[in-house]
Amino acid sequence: MSLVSLVKIRGNGKNSIKDSISQSLNLINYSFKKEALNIVIKPNMCYYWDCTTGQTTDPQFVAALIDLIRERVSSDANISIVESDASAMKCKYAFKMLGYDQLSKDYDVPLVNLSEAKYANASFTAGGQSFRFMVPDIIQNADLKINIPKIKYTTGKIKLTCALKNIYGCNPFPKKYLYHKRLDEAIVALNKAMNFNLCLIDGLVVSGVAPRKLGLIMASTDAVAIDAAAAKIAGLNPNTIGHLKLAEKERLGSSKFVPQGAPLDYFARRYPRRSGRKKIMAEAYRLLILTKLNKKLGL
Amino acid sequence: MKKVGLGIIGLGYIGKMHLQNALILKNAYVAGVADMSPKALSSAKKLGVTKTFNNYVDLLKDSAVDSVVIGLPNHLHLQCAQMAAESNKNILLEKPMARSVEEAKEIISVTQRNGVRLMMGYPLRFNPIYRGLKEQIDDGSLGDVEVAHAINITSGPFFSREEMHAPVPVPDWWFNKELTGGGVLIDLGCHLINLLRWYFGEIIDINGCFSRRFKMPFEDTAVCLATFKSGTLGVINVGWFSQEVKTRIELLGSVKDAVVTTPPSTPLLTAVRTLTAGISRNRIPFLNELQHFVDCEIYNKPFISSGEDGLKDLEAIHKAYTNEVLLQQE
Repeated sequence: MSLVSLVKIRGNGKNSIKDSISQSLNLINYSFKKEALNIVIKPNMCYYWDCTTGQTTDPQFVAALIDLIRERVSSDANISIVESDASAMKCKYAFKMLGYDQLSKDYDVPLVNLSEAKYANASFTAGGQSFRFMVPDIIQNADLKINIPKIKYTTGKIKLTCALKNIYGCNPFPKKYLYHKRLDEAIVALNKAMNFNLCLIDGLVVSGVAPRKLGLIMASTDAVAIDAAAAKIAGLNPNTIGHLKLAEKERLGSSKFVPQGAPLDYFARRYPRRSGRKKIMAEAYRLLILTKLNKKLGL
Repeated sequence: MKKVGLGIIGLGYIGKMHLQNALILKNAYVAGVADMSPKALSSAKKLGVTKTFNNYVDLLKDSAVDSVVIGLPNHLHLQCAQMAAESNKNILLEKPMARSVEEAKEIISVTQRNGVRLMMGYPLRFNPIYRGLKEQIDDGSLGDVEVAHAINITSGPFFSREEMHAPVPVPDWWFNKELTGGGVLIDLGCHLINLLRWYFGEIIDINGCFSRRFKMPFEDTAVCLATFKSGTLGVINVGWFSQEVKTRIELLGSVKDAVVTTPPSTPLLTAVRTLTAGISRNRIPFLNELQHFVDCEIYNKPFISSGEDGLKDLEAIHKAYTNEVLLQQE
């Protein structure tokens, strides 16, 4: 069973975040390797929604992590922040609008659009499905790969977006919707391809049915374990989340975890869960899309 | 009964809405639609449109088209309006009229030279709740309106977060100030400036205070202070920063106050209303607007919002940009 730490941030600002990240890493007995000089950080930048919506990683969280890495590893550590274009989001705009351009200038770290980076093709399988992905050299060659997801509900059968799903954004191919029919398998295969070492959840603001300041920081080296813990916080049963179950089956990690630090229930009680009414509305709208009635109505 | 042949140019969000409305008008028919996207043209065909064009030049050559509705990106308004005027088509032009005052003047000039009529698309003037306010101002029941607060806050071109939706792509032109002519003030501010001018007469003076939350080279929040011919002081507040859409007019009068807010909507509510009433609430002002355009053409009546209105709105917007008030920030 893997360790998953939960830390309630005390105070405001970058230094408080840094202290809490440090605490969360201590709780899982993690220490940065001194020889890790090429480091990749993958925040969640799903769209042009800034961090107050709970949908994207707070650049301040990434800034605090960079400070910590420079302190613990080396001030010369070669740190890159990576993201890729998607059908509805272009990095060149998202980097600016979400505050990462400024972070890049302030901390002298490059922002890498993986859709424009060098890559090598490689094949991976998951759930009996075979995929051929472009694996960016910068990820392939990194000594340390840190995943900084958010915790949020997702439309359709995916249910939860967190650590495993965030790696979907490492796929340089912009038309990611082409994988939607085999999404669980694609997510797991991409996690195999990208092989991240450490997950740090930015739960400063979470997005359930609405955003809420939760002040949560989580850490684990096991993406499956941290997703299982996040699912419980969001009121979801990890055993009903397809990509999580498949990831465990494919030995990417274990959904059984040992929580460390603050009690999980404290955050679960405060997570903005869907009400019954919202669930019914979401299902009704899903039905509308499934029956293509929305198109017939010209919506 | 005479029927007006409408050509819809541009089938983006607003063009699609005009098309749906045009299809239910009794005294007009859709003579054709033009868009570069084969997918948009295919959707139009499914709605019953028989003639589709992948460029508006060919649509303008069609003699069945009497009038056009232009719903293109801002930088294409001038060129398209010029060609439409030269093809003797009357025009319903989406807001903002153009990117600059100069472009707007050229549009007016070309329509006058060719003797075609030009109406600006300002749906707030056709929204029953805002028309109701106009009646209250005109009949004196509010007394003198000393202060008018006008608010329109949305997520702008960037899709608002609703749990039932996936994000939608934003066309590149939205990020280019050269192509849009400005930010939120030109995009949403023109609605409110136009509405307040309708209520209180011409703008005497205006200044603006702008912020750029998203660090783009255009403003995403604008607060303008304007004086109107009636003596009313107007506060115009527009923003592209919110996940929640708010349109609200508050009038503080010497007799009493009045507040009107556009009720919020959700995709599901829109679907239910379309199923039960045949039309969603947000489409009604656009339907009234198009009906007015067609009626004015048939009965040769003046438009409620003319090209000159569009020009005056742009003049006010550019004056606000010029008269920017710089406040000290941290």
